[in-house]
Amino acid sequence: MLHRLLGKLSSKKSKKVGVLRCEAGGSHSAAQPILLGISEKLMRRGCPVSASSLLRDRRGTSSLTILKKNLEPYAFISPTILLLVVLMVVPVGLVIKYSFYDNVIVNQFPKFVGLDNYFAIVKDEAFRIALVNTSMLTVGSVLAHLLIGLSFATLLNSGLISNFSKALFRMIYILPWLFTVAIIAILWRMILNPNGVINYILTTVHLTGSPIEWLSNEKTALLSVIFINIWAGYPFYMTSILAGLQGIPRDLYEAATVDGASAFQQFINVTLPQLRPIIISMTMLDLIWTSQQFALIWMTTGGGPMTATEMLGTYTYKLAFSQYQFSQAATSAVVLFVLSMLLAFFYVRNQKARD
Amino acid sequence: MAAQTKQKRLISKIAVLIGLCLGAIFAGFPVFWMFLNSFKPNSEIFAFPPKIISDNFTLAGYHEIFSNPEKIRFFTNSYVVSISVTLLTLLVAIQAAYAFSRFDFPGKSTFNIVILSLQAVPPITLMIPYFGLMVTLKLYNTYQGLILTYMVFTLPYAIIMMTGYFNTLPRELDEAVKLDGGGALATLWRILVPVSIPGIVSVGIYTFMISWNEYLFALTLTRTQEMRTVPIGIQLLMGQHSYEWNEMMAMSILGSLPVLVLFLFFQRYFMGGLTSGAVKA
Amino acid sequence: MQLELKMIDSTHTWVYCPFKRARFRIKRRKTARNTNAPGGKMKKNASIRTRLTALLSVAAVLVVSAGVSTPARAADVTLEFSQWWEPELPAGSFRGLMDEFEAANPGIKVKLLSGPYSSTKEQIVAGAASKTMSDVVGLDGAWVSDFAKQGALASLTKLMTTSNYDQAQLASQIKIGGQAYMIPVVNFVYPLFTNDALLAKAGVKSVPSTRSEFATAAKAISKIDKTTKGWALPLSQEAPNGIQNDVMSLVWASGGSMLAGGKPSLTNAKVKNTMTYIKGLWDAGAITPGAFTMKEQDKVEEFTNGRVGMMIDSLSHIGLIRENNPSLKFTISPLPAEDGYKGKRGIPYASWGIGVSSNSKHQAEAFKLVAFLMSQKTNSKLSSIAHAFPGNTKSVPDYVNGDPLYKAAFAIYTKGYPANEFTGLPVAEELMRLFDVQFQKYLSGKISVTAALNAAQAAWKAKF
Repeated sequence: MLHRLLGKLSSKKSKKVGVLRCEAGGSHSAAQPILLGISEKLMRRGCPVSASSLLRDRRGTSSLTILKKNLEPYAFISPTILLLVVLMVVPVGLVIKYSFYDNVIVNQFPKFVGLDNYFAIVKDEAFRIALVNTSMLTVGSVLAHLLIGLSFATLLNSGLISNFSKALFRMIYILPWLFTVAIIAILWRMILNPNGVINYILTTVHLTGSPIEWLSNEKTALLSVIFINIWAGYPFYMTSILAGLQGIPRDLYEAATVDGASAFQQFINVTLPQLRPIIISMTMLDLIWTSQQFALIWMTTGGGPMTATEMLGTYTYKLAFSQYQFSQAATSAVVLFVLSMLLAFFYVRNQKARD
Repeated sequence: MAAQTKQKRLISKIAVLIGLCLGAIFAGFPVFWMFLNSFKPNSEIFAFPPKIISDNFTLAGYHEIFSNPEKIRFFTNSYVVSISVTLLTLLVAIQAAYAFSRFDFPGKSTFNIVILSLQAVPPITLMIPYFGLMVTLKLYNTYQGLILTYMVFTLPYAIIMMTGYFNTLPRELDEAVKLDGGGALATLWRILVPVSIPGIVSVGIYTFMISWNEYLFALTLTRTQEMRTVPIGIQLLMGQHSYEWNEMMAMSILGSLPVLVLFLFFQRYFMGGLTSGAVKA
Repeated sequence: MQLELKMIDSTHTWVYCPFKRARFRIKRRKTARNTNAPGGKMKKNASIRTRLTALLSVAAVLVVSAGVSTPARAADVTLEFSQWWEPELPAGSFRGLMDEFEAANPGIKVKLLSGPYSSTKEQIVAGAASKTMSDVVGLDGAWVSDFAKQGALASLTKLMTTSNYDQAQLASQIKIGGQAYMIPVVNFVYPLFTNDALLAKAGVKSVPSTRSEFATAAKAISKIDKTTKGWALPLSQEAPNGIQNDVMSLVWASGGSMLAGGKPSLTNAKVKNTMTYIKGLWDAGAITPGAFTMKEQDKVEEFTNGRVGMMIDSLSHIGLIRENNPSLKFTISPLPAEDGYKGKRGIPYASWGIGVSSNSKHQAEAFKLVAFLMSQKTNSKLSSIAHAFPGNTKSVPDYVNGDPLYKAAFAIYTKGYPANEFTGLPVAEELMRLFDVQFQKYLSGKISVTAALNAAQAAWKAKF
């Protein structure tokens, strides 16, 4: 079907579909043939061929084709651009605009105040506390997600267990992913209740004397919340890494085994480098995503005992819907947005450098 | 020698199994607890010492859901929206990821940075302007509004993940198709997509999950009970004065079933290397 | 040197190789060759492709055909009433009331929009900002001031004067700047609940009525065993109405006030005494653990399961407690007051309030619905099914005569005075939260009571 479609896209009967560059010397060993289709056949007929620069040569192609080739990537990303521009640019632009006014929405006559909100936010102690807590949550969660995701995926990919066990455990491992945030919050509040099941188990086996206030004690609240976030988010890493593991060619492992590498060495030298692009993308996303985590924190501790689990998400929410300071909330959002843009900038530059 | 290797294998196998079981407790215990609680009457959910199986085992929570057409409608809406979002997002994201992975064009980095950082705008601040936009576009309280909204949320993830997957596939695969006379479209759909099925499946499941479990925008962009989705249904059970705990648990369990089924259905795409052997150097 | 490829037909290509100085006619392959299993791969491709195509067409159909068909509107006026009440009332009962209204007012239809309580406030703000707010809205007293400032609510005073409504029948109205914006439809009062069995086990003869009796009882109950405590105090910051119902209520029960002339006055003696009193209970270990993130619902569950002896809670939970634990015997009584206080005791309350949106196109009809809900007969009915007290001065809910507990509650209600100083305050919920943070610091022993109250006072003043 696609083949015919391509035929239609090109113009008439006899069209040039490409150019193969010949090696001047003409020996087989100098060339690096790719054993597919035409090149293979030519090889058999004694014509040495290298197909590597096939695409780059534009000599003799019409300007229309050049234009088509230049516009090709844009055609592929056009639906994305359309959707994101229409639906995101306007609201995000509005949010940025809000941050420059004294108050919007509840204030019927907003006044332009420039960067005042930004100065106010930076001076606000609550903002700084939120920033610190959020960094701890983000870094802790992302690291744990990575480790747990890698370990689970590796365990699940092991050749030592049957496919049935793999399938069964895979199903169990993605369970935390399946639930909406409200239910996860309620469930963990139930489990971590001072009179809940965890404390019951701990007191029965005499690990602790009195019930631990997991979520209400400022010493344990942040850790508990980080733990819940880890639990709720690791399946993302696990499935992505698992999918990535499927894409690593077996021959690499075989070659490593032949070289005498142990399982651990193979992991470090074969698996991790192959998974690198996926791991980096996911870490980037998770960092950005966790830093604006709101609903889970809000529904478990509401910002915690005093300010122990106050995050940027809860801080912004309270500004917007409790203090009705939408401009300040917008300011906080823009600060987060800019920080993430910086992060994204370094990520993209790193990607480009590697390419 | 052979016996030693066999013994080593056995030890490794047991170690792996132990690791898997510990992980299963970590992952599954809370969900198992939820499952048990969905069969208890409301009064026993907070009992101490906690009971495993209640003496008054009851299906009341589930019965409440199945006997109420309004609640069934929540599930229908969630299905329609989530399935549409997944398919459309995959379609759009695969194309965009292909462009990012295989082409170099002006504006590529900027666009990359922008879609990455758009993720960082907290939805709670975005809610009101976005809501205004939806009302203006007359997409308020429609399936289309929700679908487009979720696409906006899931596209950046999908694109970045798919780009990552495509980047792990060697360029020789592309050249294979080009030699055969295929253009960019052919390269994408003939080679790259079939080969990255595990990646597509995981992105697809993830997209489905996001749209199935999303609450804030589902609530804001729907007005009438007929358009509401499962997460809203669950929150409706948390009233000001009464919480229907067992019904909440039951609804969550029921809500998690479609994704489990999806996962089961697509399991085999996680097995085996589809790229191994496709290109020989 | 370069080879030239020319496609001559769909299956063959001419290739000219200058090296060999020859032309080759080569058959093209349809798909890229896979050294493993070409046939299988192509089949897999095909099956994947067909599957994808099928799914895509399904998606396209869904997106195109989906959508809500708007019902054809007659010449009727349709009022939209957004609230969180319908799911909490017996199934069909609230809709039944709306049907009565429609029958009495031909030409007006009422559409009920129910949403989760926890998100109601944000939804109203968003609705007001985008002019999609319902004609009639259910409100909580803590939100009124801010919505009025936003310009989201219509002035009920104007509507009442236009329709010559008898305002005397209303028990209360929430006014900002002289104009009423919300009318409490039904009130949920928060008396003291005490567990008879636990009190007896602790050797307490009668229900505590003064603070010292309360403290003795609480400490005694906490000594019964490790999981039982005397008092539950929900101080979660997510929904900080514990400050209103469980902390400030003790101030109001002793005739105290947290305001002076409508402005914050947190450093007065009665507030300070209440704080130190609660701290005493805290240090004695008489308060249920988990207080800093406990929500109202958790408090009820602890009480229902017999793990806490006393709690200040909403009357509307009587049914819930009875349903979940029929064997639990409990008593309703007024809140404990300072020793020696003989005056009227304030009893905290939260209301289901009602307001009309300012961008409603049918404000007159909307007010008719408000008036209907406030009418003596309907208000009685509504209070009966909600187990709350009426907002109409003449209404009497039917449960009052039947049930001894409700009878007791009603007696307390009439003997005391409804006290909720947070209603109508600007950013009321935030005020509660600001106080909560300082209070938690004080309870943990980080700061002194004077420092806590001063900090709270300063934070409050900044909001007024």
